[in-house]
Amino acid sequence: MEVTQDLSIVSMIVNASVLVQLVMALLLAVSFMSWWGIFFKLFSIRATRLHAEAFEKDFWSGSDLTQLYERAPGSQDPAGSLARIFESGFREYLKLRRQPSLDVSIVMDGTRRAMRATFQREMDRLESHLSFLASVGSVSPYVGLFGTVWGIMNAFRGLANVGQATLAHVAPGIAEALVATAMGLFAAIPAVVAYNRYAYDINRLAIRFESFMEEFSNILQRQVRPS
Amino acid sequence: MSRAKPGQVRAGLLALSVHILFFIFLAFGVSWQRKPPQIMEVAVWQSLPARPASTPAAEPEPPPLKKNPPKAAEPAPAPRPDIALKAKQEAEQRQREEQTKQQAQRKKAEEEKRKQEEKQRIAAQQAREAAARKDLEDAARRQQEARQATQSRIENDYKARIQAKIHRFTIIPPDLTGNPQAEYQVTLLPGGDVLSAKLVKSSGSPAYDAAVERAIYKAQPLPLPPDPALFPRFRELVLQFRPQS
Repeated sequence: MEVTQDLSIVSMIVNASVLVQLVMALLLAVSFMSWWGIFFKLFSIRATRLHAEAFEKDFWSGSDLTQLYERAPGSQDPAGSLARIFESGFREYLKLRRQPSLDVSIVMDGTRRAMRATFQREMDRLESHLSFLASVGSVSPYVGLFGTVWGIMNAFRGLANVGQATLAHVAPGIAEALVATAMGLFAAIPAVVAYNRYAYDINRLAIRFESFMEEFSNILQRQVRPS
Repeated sequence: MSRAKPGQVRAGLLALSVHILFFIFLAFGVSWQRKPPQIMEVAVWQSLPARPASTPAAEPEPPPLKKNPPKAAEPAPAPRPDIALKAKQEAEQRQREEQTKQQAQRKKAEEEKRKQEEKQRIAAQQAREAAARKDLEDAARRQQEARQATQSRIENDYKARIQAKIHRFTIIPPDLTGNPQAEYQVTLLPGGDVLSAKLVKSSGSPAYDAAVERAIYKAQPLPLPPDPALFPRFRELVLQFRPQS
């Protein structure tokens, strides 16, 4: 009966069966991708929020709209979502106003539609990696569990060949198998936390963009009338 | 839409570092197996026995012979046409002779001194070697004694443990009076199992004798020292038991 077995993590991973190793490799790759997504989303959401704040400050400081449009601060920046919404709306507004026959409501409808289209596109960009995080968070524990179940099955099958079954025969196999579950949880927990956090952040950004669109429409509508 | 995303590379590096950190934590921070402490026997020495090989180190060399005789053979100062010349010459002559005699004497004395020193040196070396040898023998003997002492200490220790364990399992009959002593001869197998237990001296109470015998068998495996070399001392044990120890 061998009692002294090397139970370090590395040896457990190396000694695991092929399928369990495959599961572990898959989980490692998924975990890496989800962490990449977590950091990438963290940076992009923060940059978008900072840009929106800066743009709103600029917008409400009373500067001329055409000037603001020409400068278009941050519209080239990938994070300048609010600037792009403003830009598309104002462009549409200028185009429609050049046609004198159009009614005010039609001008405003067109402007709002243009802004909404840009808004949708920006929301899509912001939410791009979130679904991946959500599925990692819900699926990877099951994948890890699968590896564990398989490993435990092997451990018990090996036990059948031994005449006198002791805990020392099963324990290493089960410990090996449980590494897969641990990895699944390691991938899943940050993904779930990050998903909830980012969904909330993006929701707040969307509300912010929408209220800006409404306010901007009001300002434009006030401008249409005197001309 | 192929806009440059500056965060991508940074996010990749950060994700990589998270995994490397986690792996390092797992590989070095978690050890799920405790190693039993290795039992080690150490004899502590106040001073190491002198090594005989390194005795003739730093032997002071005999002082070099003085080879330069005093400048006695200086040319006599130019004789002066004096009355005292002759006397002086004579005196000088005498002085010179004396000097050469003294010189020879000194040389001889030095020679003798040197010889004596040599002799002393050899004697000292021999004495030192003898002392070193004695030291070494002493050390070996002391080590032997120490080993025996530890062995007998371990033996006593384990005998006490065996007795204590059997005592724990003994169910003392309720009608026992006094503190009678029962003596058993216990034959052990390696591993601590009891081969046989023979009553050598009864306590006078057959109930207590029987209780002790039952306890001897119930207490197996009896504690034995981990060193198998000590087992021969435990093969045949004569143990005394009292209800109140």
